[in-house]
Amino acid sequence: MIITVAVLLCLPIVTTAQQKETQLFPYKYTMDDLENGLRLVTVPTDYPNMVALYIVVQAGSRNEVEPGKSGYAHLFEHLMFRGSENYTSEQADTILKRAGAESNASTNADRTTYYETFSKEDLDAVMKLEADRFQRLKYPESAYKTESLAVLGEYNKDSADPTSKLDEVLHATAFKKHTYAHTTIGFLEDIKDMPNQYNYSHQFYNRFYRPEYTTIILAGDVTRERTLELTQKYFGEWKRGNYVPDIPAEPPQTEPRSANLSWPAPTLPWLAIAFRGPAYSDEKKDKAALDLLAPVAFGSNSELYQRLVLKEQKLDTLYSSFGNHPNPELFTVFARVKDPKDMDYVREEILATFKRFTDETVDLEKLDATRSRIRYAFALRMNSSAAIANGLAPYIGLRRTPDTVNKLFALYLQVTPEDIRAMANQYFTENNRTIVTLTYERAKN
Amino acid sequence: MFGRLLRGLKLATTCLMLLCVFTTAGAQSKIATVLQHGTSPLVTFRILFMTGSAFDPVGKEGVAALTASMLAQGGTRTLNYQQIVEAMYPMAASVEWQVDKEMTVFSGTTHVENLDRYYGLLKDMLLDPGFRSEDFTRVRDDAANFLKVSLRQGNDEELGKEYLYNIIYAGHAYAHHSMGKIGSLERLTLGDVREFYRNHYTKANLVIGLAGGYPESFVQKVQADFVKFPEGTANKKRFDFPKLSAGTHVQIINRDTRSTAISLGFPIEVTRASEEWPALALVASYFGQHRSSNSYLYQRLREARGLNYGDYAYVEYFPRGMFRMTPDPSLGRQQQIFQIWIRPVEPENGLFTLRAAFYEYDKLVRDGISREAFETTREFLMKYGNILTQTQVAQLGYSLDSRYYGIPDSNAYMRDQLSKLTLEEVNRAIRRYLRTDRMRIVVVTKDAEGFRNALVKNLPSPITYNSPKPKEIMDEDTVIQVYRINVKAEDVVVVPVERVFE
Repeated sequence: MIITVAVLLCLPIVTTAQQKETQLFPYKYTMDDLENGLRLVTVPTDYPNMVALYIVVQAGSRNEVEPGKSGYAHLFEHLMFRGSENYTSEQADTILKRAGAESNASTNADRTTYYETFSKEDLDAVMKLEADRFQRLKYPESAYKTESLAVLGEYNKDSADPTSKLDEVLHATAFKKHTYAHTTIGFLEDIKDMPNQYNYSHQFYNRFYRPEYTTIILAGDVTRERTLELTQKYFGEWKRGNYVPDIPAEPPQTEPRSANLSWPAPTLPWLAIAFRGPAYSDEKKDKAALDLLAPVAFGSNSELYQRLVLKEQKLDTLYSSFGNHPNPELFTVFARVKDPKDMDYVREEILATFKRFTDETVDLEKLDATRSRIRYAFALRMNSSAAIANGLAPYIGLRRTPDTVNKLFALYLQVTPEDIRAMANQYFTENNRTIVTLTYERAKN
Repeated sequence: MFGRLLRGLKLATTCLMLLCVFTTAGAQSKIATVLQHGTSPLVTFRILFMTGSAFDPVGKEGVAALTASMLAQGGTRTLNYQQIVEAMYPMAASVEWQVDKEMTVFSGTTHVENLDRYYGLLKDMLLDPGFRSEDFTRVRDDAANFLKVSLRQGNDEELGKEYLYNIIYAGHAYAHHSMGKIGSLERLTLGDVREFYRNHYTKANLVIGLAGGYPESFVQKVQADFVKFPEGTANKKRFDFPKLSAGTHVQIINRDTRSTAISLGFPIEVTRASEEWPALALVASYFGQHRSSNSYLYQRLREARGLNYGDYAYVEYFPRGMFRMTPDPSLGRQQQIFQIWIRPVEPENGLFTLRAAFYEYDKLVRDGISREAFETTREFLMKYGNILTQTQVAQLGYSLDSRYYGIPDSNAYMRDQLSKLTLEEVNRAIRRYLRTDRMRIVVVTKDAEGFRNALVKNLPSPITYNSPKPKEIMDEDTVIQVYRINVKAEDVVVVPVERVFE
């Protein structure tokens, strides 16, 4: 018997001035927890007829703790399309095809997300289908081995892009203990070994494809009554697991690190300058402050971008990357340099900019403009039920509730220029830094 | 401000529920319009000029693209580009640009709260460009580096596809990449850009697309502003069906890379305006629906054999497929192509995979599709239209495309066409349009000479698997591994990567 704990969280559309200023996610939603730990988030929207089903599993490449086993969260994303006890992969494909569904999945360091967008009349059939693979995935060894080659194919398709390798080396250099040392696709040698790891693959599934790791988002032309009924009906018997991965903490970095990567094909040189940053939080200001600094210091209207890209034209690409992660990850600035002889100059200018914001406070007007930019960027993205579910999925992966979006934006509103300077001082230290360069070097025959 | 933003989003969804979107072609104005007015707080612009790289003068390939990028990524007479970026920043807005053969589009979405500010910038960017030399140097460098570095040396599958388009249209106005040629880009001047702007950015070539919750009076304001473009005469040039020499021709791009990318295709006479369009769209979806596991080729090459990450087929030009789940709008063309995209494979499986694609394609042409496949694919497409038009941005883009092709603008129209379609019509369209006599193939691989030798001599290309395969697959493989691709030795050419896009 399933006991449902229904938590109705209706975010007010019109409310007090203070609430208006702090809430970003505008849709009413409900959250329901099944007894087995599965969570359902229902977001009725007024986009007619369509439903977006996003299933977020809190397992990504971060969960790959055994040496030699990088890339298995992503491999699992593939295996989930290889059939289950009650549906062969062909039968599953036919159901989704008849539903006119857009269906796919993605994996990153922290989560794996499965999604379908389809007409509302197919909701029952799609939920039933999804429930089967999440609880009763079944793939023969031959299909497993074949699918591992599709993963190699995915590695191959990205292998011509120097930034794939740059990112791989950056993480392997910056992290020595934590699983963020490997990328989501995994190391090539581990991918090549995947065909030999059929038994391990079952272990991975049994660990993480469990209700306590999983949240279902249903957005669109739906009611809570209907989504809850179907979730209970098809996912209610799913057994809770008991595995908690022992993800090693990364010890504090005690020295600056660097790596130089030579690339066999002609390319403009790349430069990645990273500092170990704080983990995601909707309560502590650390990450929120640096989130606000990133576009101010390195965005397209930053002083640095305007000088190096627009005026001096030393670079054709400059951007920062600082994702939300449950454990500390990297605040990285990437630059593609037009002329190799400018590499040192560009490196010093980027480092000087990091340093500058440990000394100076950000102009308040610029900070407010950045808050405005974040708000409008979020609003502009929310233009379909699928976009709403897709926008929520990363936050569900972190905190399993849409409310964290509003808490985060409330935090952004509280950040002061002084907070930003303090966080820059705390995190942008020499001992916290990793620099990786990638330059063309003709292969020696 | 923020509270209004939230309420606006709520209104947006209400609007869609009431189906208050409408489309109209402005009849009373000289400037053509496609208007989809609603109460969404988001306002989408799509400013379309019926010009593009097919109008690049010979020797000045790339001027259409540089002109557009100068407008979207350069300053106006009163604001430099830095000031424009600064002004866009708090609105999280931008002006995007895309140049194809016959269409150039500037697009962007703003929250209605920022409409006046955003529009003021957009208007000046298009109507009053600054044409500064420092902007020109930057955007020209960007274009050349895109071709020379990013595409030629950093993305084998997009390289293979774009080069395929080049050779399908050899000697045609569509031949060069829409960004230009590396050699001609280096020679282009700001004067060339000014001249292109003067001649092609005219009222006669302009279509204004607007969607969302703009005030009713806003259209008049836009019309009054954009009427300042010179009158001009509409680009009515006819682009002929490309004249390709008979036979299969193969170009193998020699590049030091770890995998082998393959693209193949040929021109077809069918566009969305054609009676046979629904039939061929169904064929492409059945044979290789983009980024879907629900297609025949994907099932045979990836699912059954694990050859690569995916395999797709198209009856329209579909650029940037690596990055897109659905087709970009504003790629309307008089001439279209059939195309098969084989994602990178291990080099030792390159020839086998090419043969497998040919084997399956020949089978499609010979046998057509089954009734069951026809019914299932039709059912898929009748619903899939709703996926394609989920957003205001997509609705407006595809509506402008429908206007170009002269077809009704709605999913209902496509559903109606599909519902009338018969299996016999589909198989007749396959026999009529899917040819094998003028196939063009591009392969990107590191051992180009070895690949060429094996292909020309029709050497067997046996494959080994890491797991047992069903007898049906093994039997089929014995046929595929020696499947003959009829190509003359002189029609298989190795191309050094440094020569591509020159």
